[in-house]
Amino acid sequence: MQQHQPRRPAPIRRVLVLGLAASLVLGVTACGPSINEPSADADGARLQAPSDKSPSGEITIWDRSGDLFEVFDAAIADFNEVYPDITVNHEAVDIDAKLQNTLITGTDVPDGVFLDDAKVAGLADSLWDVSDVLAPYVDDIAEQKIDVNSINGGVYGVPYDSNPGLLYYNAAALEAAGVDPTQIETYDDLLEAAREYQAAVPGSQPIHLEQSAYLGQLQLEMYASQLGTSVADAEGELRLDSPEYEQILTFLDTVQKDGLGTRAEYLNPTDIAQLESGSQVFYPWAIWFSFATQQLLPETAGDWRAMPLPAWEDGGAQSGAMGGSSFVLPRDGENSELAWLFYEFLMFDEAGYTAVWGPNDVYPAGLNTSIPSYGPAADPAAPLFGPVPELGNQDLWAVATAASSEIPPAVPTPSWWAGAVDYLGNNLQRMLDGEMTPQEVLKTSSTDITSNLIDRQ
Amino acid sequence: MTALTSARTKRRIAPYLFVAPFVAVFLAFSIYPLIFTARLSFTNWRGFGAAEWVGWDNYTYLLGNAGFWSSLGNSSVLWMLIIPVQLVLALLAAVLLNNSKLRLRGFYRVAFIVPFVTPLVAIAQIWVVVFDQNYGAVNGLLNIIGLPDVGWLTTSEWSKPTLALLFIWKTTGFIVLILLSGLQSIDASVYEAASLDGASPARKLWSMTVPLLRRTIMFAVILQTLAVFQMFAEPFVVTQGGPYGSTTTAGYYLYNHITRADLGTGAANSFLLVIIVMALSLVFVRLLRAKD
Repeated sequence: MQQHQPRRPAPIRRVLVLGLAASLVLGVTACGPSINEPSADADGARLQAPSDKSPSGEITIWDRSGDLFEVFDAAIADFNEVYPDITVNHEAVDIDAKLQNTLITGTDVPDGVFLDDAKVAGLADSLWDVSDVLAPYVDDIAEQKIDVNSINGGVYGVPYDSNPGLLYYNAAALEAAGVDPTQIETYDDLLEAAREYQAAVPGSQPIHLEQSAYLGQLQLEMYASQLGTSVADAEGELRLDSPEYEQILTFLDTVQKDGLGTRAEYLNPTDIAQLESGSQVFYPWAIWFSFATQQLLPETAGDWRAMPLPAWEDGGAQSGAMGGSSFVLPRDGENSELAWLFYEFLMFDEAGYTAVWGPNDVYPAGLNTSIPSYGPAADPAAPLFGPVPELGNQDLWAVATAASSEIPPAVPTPSWWAGAVDYLGNNLQRMLDGEMTPQEVLKTSSTDITSNLIDRQ
Repeated sequence: MTALTSARTKRRIAPYLFVAPFVAVFLAFSIYPLIFTARLSFTNWRGFGAAEWVGWDNYTYLLGNAGFWSSLGNSSVLWMLIIPVQLVLALLAAVLLNNSKLRLRGFYRVAFIVPFVTPLVAIAQIWVVVFDQNYGAVNGLLNIIGLPDVGWLTTSEWSKPTLALLFIWKTTGFIVLILLSGLQSIDASVYEAASLDGASPARKLWSMTVPLLRRTIMFAVILQTLAVFQMFAEPFVVTQGGPYGSTTTAGYYLYNHITRADLGTGAANSFLLVIIVMALSLVFVRLLRAKD
């Protein structure tokens, strides 16, 4: 009986199969980024405004989902009154998750994107330099906003909002305790007011201490912005280990060690409960905390007020920037110049910025979580949004525009800023846990940021 | 003769044509990414422009980096907190659900699988509220019996057990299903014979069920080992890797490189992770074979 043996591939066939596999591997490895070629030259990528008198076409605009998306969506009708032949495809997108990959692949790249200022520098290689189109407006835009969008002489974002830091305080609780907030001019005064409040309301923890590593670092940068400094200088060199940062950290350390602070993550259940109970009465934060007073604090709505931040020394700046966003235009977008017209309308045309910050369906009294960064739109005498009932009908516009004018000039946010949270943000929390001193935070964070982030750029 | 040759050729080509769709997909979505990633791991590419060849730099950086080892340590601790507890719970549940006398058996089977199919983001929101240090229900219960508040998600000591609990709660139903399928393949006569010999339920479980399920259990262990070392969504939505990186798992640490556009280091990290996970899987397979 004949047995069938499994047939072995003939040598020639084996060679062919191996050759095919090798070709495939080599072919596949040829795809992807080229190695050791000169990098793309960003200098030549300056966006120009369209010369056509009646521009037409279709643009895709990405925004975050939520209230701002609704606001911008409603403003498209106003834009189309000026530019009837431009169709806006407005999409709500998880920008943090999707933008970087889209820019890398170059597929379905949008024409304009709403982006955190802190993320602009990291993507600048694939964005248009908008220096030329911004030129007619640049002198009227808050200097700090131009600064944070500037990289190597180019400007890579159309500034959207200004987010001045303010001191929110529970006026009713302070009055009941006999503490006069108008006497708070410096951070030493704030400490004193907190001690007075605690003496009147035993067990209270008057000052907010942020427990999220990311937001804690963002708030730290607000304090630093007040002192005219930031984590890196204009050349991207680290300048964390400085007297200014030591002063800020010492203040936060004192709040914690003296039991004057509520340690909680921004608006988590503990934070809200402490705000509503009258235990936490001072909240140094960006203007956008006004959202909380309107939507998350029903018990104390109407009790809250806002004032400029205390100064670090007599006569010092009474605000610093905390967060902020801009509009960026990817170079691979099909109609970037038309997207520029859209943003130009929203930010620099009265009809546009009134549609964004003025009363609308989403914010009947106007969008009061930020103010425009464009001077003529942020005129203290011509408020775009009205008094806020939850702030006792206070004129937040006047407070915010005055505070915004106090923000010192800034420098670009380094591309590694968000990565620094693993070091600076975490070490700040360790200090508040009593595990590190302010000096240790600065030295350790500087070393770690240098070796893990800056040296690896 | 020509017709015969043609038929023979068709017969030879046919198998290749049948497997061609799979091979094409496999090449496009497995081999290409693998080779691309391998190549990327030797560059400093950040997503734009040209990539610079950096040799072994990304690997040496990671192997000398405390954060990398810490992430592996975190994953190892989570593995120890999760796998033994989950296996015991899943085995007991599977044995109970396999009992034909159990009333509402269908209901319990569905109940066990519900956490597995519920979106993690929804669960995470509840977890954050329930485990809040000052106003969470868990600490509320502890206070009732006179115990102090615990920083479940805000202290390095407790964040890992809390995350492990979430993982166990969410995925145990899946392991129950796997073990249940294993149990149902065991011949009932084995248990009948043991009963005739006077074996107690505990003795049957320990001396018969567990040995007969050994392959299924090992399969579950390998699956869950892969899941724990690649765990990303749980720390991402509940703790963002904190506090102080105490819940930064190997998978989450890898993600951090990607978000910083440090794609070369991310690629190197993923290769190191593949090697570690493959080594662990091989150890488990060896253990299984040794017992055979």
